[in-house]
Amino acid sequence: MADLLAPRRPAGARHVGAVYTRAIVAQIRSITEYPADFWVMASAGVMWNVLQFAFLTVLFATVPDVAGWRYHEMLMLSGLFTVASGSTALLCDGVWSTGQMVLKGEIDYRITRPAPVVVQVATTHIGMQGFGEVAFGLVMLAYGWIGAGLGLAPVPIGLLAIACAVTIECALVTLFCAVNFWIKGPMSNFAFMLIDLQSNAMVLPLGLFPIGVRLLTMFVIPVAFVNFVPVAVLTGHLSAAWLVGTPLAALACVLAALGVYRLGLRSYDSSGH
Amino acid sequence: MTHGFAVDRAFVTVSLKRRLAYKTQWIVALVLGGGAMLVSMALWRNLLSGGALSGYDWDSMRAYIIIGFVTGTLVFGAADWYIADRILDGHVAIDLTKPVDFQRARAAEYVGSMISTVPTVVVGVIGAWLLFDPPGPVSATAGVLTVLSLLLVFPLAFGITYLSILVCFWTKRYLGIMWLREALLGFFSGMMIPLAFMPSWLQAVAWALPFPHFTATPAAIYLGHVDTAGALGLLAAEAAWGVGMWIGARLVFRHAVKKVTVHGG
Repeated sequence: MADLLAPRRPAGARHVGAVYTRAIVAQIRSITEYPADFWVMASAGVMWNVLQFAFLTVLFATVPDVAGWRYHEMLMLSGLFTVASGSTALLCDGVWSTGQMVLKGEIDYRITRPAPVVVQVATTHIGMQGFGEVAFGLVMLAYGWIGAGLGLAPVPIGLLAIACAVTIECALVTLFCAVNFWIKGPMSNFAFMLIDLQSNAMVLPLGLFPIGVRLLTMFVIPVAFVNFVPVAVLTGHLSAAWLVGTPLAALACVLAALGVYRLGLRSYDSSGH
Repeated sequence: MTHGFAVDRAFVTVSLKRRLAYKTQWIVALVLGGGAMLVSMALWRNLLSGGALSGYDWDSMRAYIIIGFVTGTLVFGAADWYIADRILDGHVAIDLTKPVDFQRARAAEYVGSMISTVPTVVVGVIGAWLLFDPPGPVSATAGVLTVLSLLLVFPLAFGITYLSILVCFWTKRYLGIMWLREALLGFFSGMMIPLAFMPSWLQAVAWALPFPHFTATPAAIYLGHVDTAGALGLLAAEAAWGVGMWIGARLVFRHAVKKVTVHGG
């Protein structure tokens, strides 16, 4: 169905960018109408990370390192993951509604509009907790960076790491939410599982886990490139050659997400079928 | 009285059936809870390989993590969204017209949804037992008191969840409130890290809150970190929190219900 109704010419990057920007700005405007909501959500985002910070601080008061990783290095690991996951809430939180939209047939009229469906869906919402998450994630990252004695020289690598982490995370969340095109349900369970397992496991050194987990997170679902690989390179736990993998993983994830979403739209048959 | 219990039972049953209709939720809960448990096991096995820390060795930590999995699955798997959504979308107005006590009805529904997590708990615990072979309770009495402590988690979880949901009378969304509650609960219950690792002032803060009774209390009883008198004292505190929050929720609801808005009205 989507094939029949899709625009014949692919939309240009400038047009897509303009649609995306307008939709996000409209969402920001609507946020300002509910200030109490904003503060509750942003505080919740901060609180999660304050407690992660507290967990690491309490833990490292008792142990000198975890699998060879010291306190400030672990803070960088947590901080970079938090920035990435918080950014998904700010940049593409609407993809979490894919399942609901498929179930209710709400993709229908988005297919008829002259803009990519994934962009329209991604901009239907902003997760306000993302403001708190990104802000505190950056604080954790900077505090860890300074504590680990990294200095200013590797800042360009840090900026590249942040850009790639945000890209990979947004792409993976989109990809896993697109599963709802086939496995129908109101909740994006697969994306939720991805985030939850990441927030449990990927804020710890990969050396703690069996080889199967390491291979899976490096080469199958490359979540290790969100935070573990860049931080390991920056802190000397991995050689600099690994850094090449980060933008490659970002590119692969974006292509995979767009491909899976497009396949999902092809199989979309509106509601009631 | 009998009629009241019949209504409660009906709410429990309906809520349980509603949850059982979505069988993928079981798998999701098992993956999430089980995944978190495996990550904790990997972390603590590494940390405790050199010996005990803050009174926990690898044996006791395995039992501790499994108890945390049980209480975490019970609490985080319950249907808090259902109650919150009814306040947010205005359906609460219909609930208020029904000849049942609002709080009691929501408690029955909540307990029904908690019961629906029991199969996940059973499968997870059997799997964990086979994989990690944790030690049993320090004594038969400790075992019985641990079970009692886990049963008291039901009213305690409802109290905390319901009180936090009532905030929805003032906000337009529930997600942030839920995260705030779960973050506080995860940390101060000892699910993330046992309270014994915290500095004494932070332990005092934690024990002044209801959260430790979700994990620290049943684990302390199970592992024999407290004697029978101490265990009974902890159970009394846990029960007192349950009663206190029930009464507190009534007071908050009386005030909150004046704020109800239905479709902007």
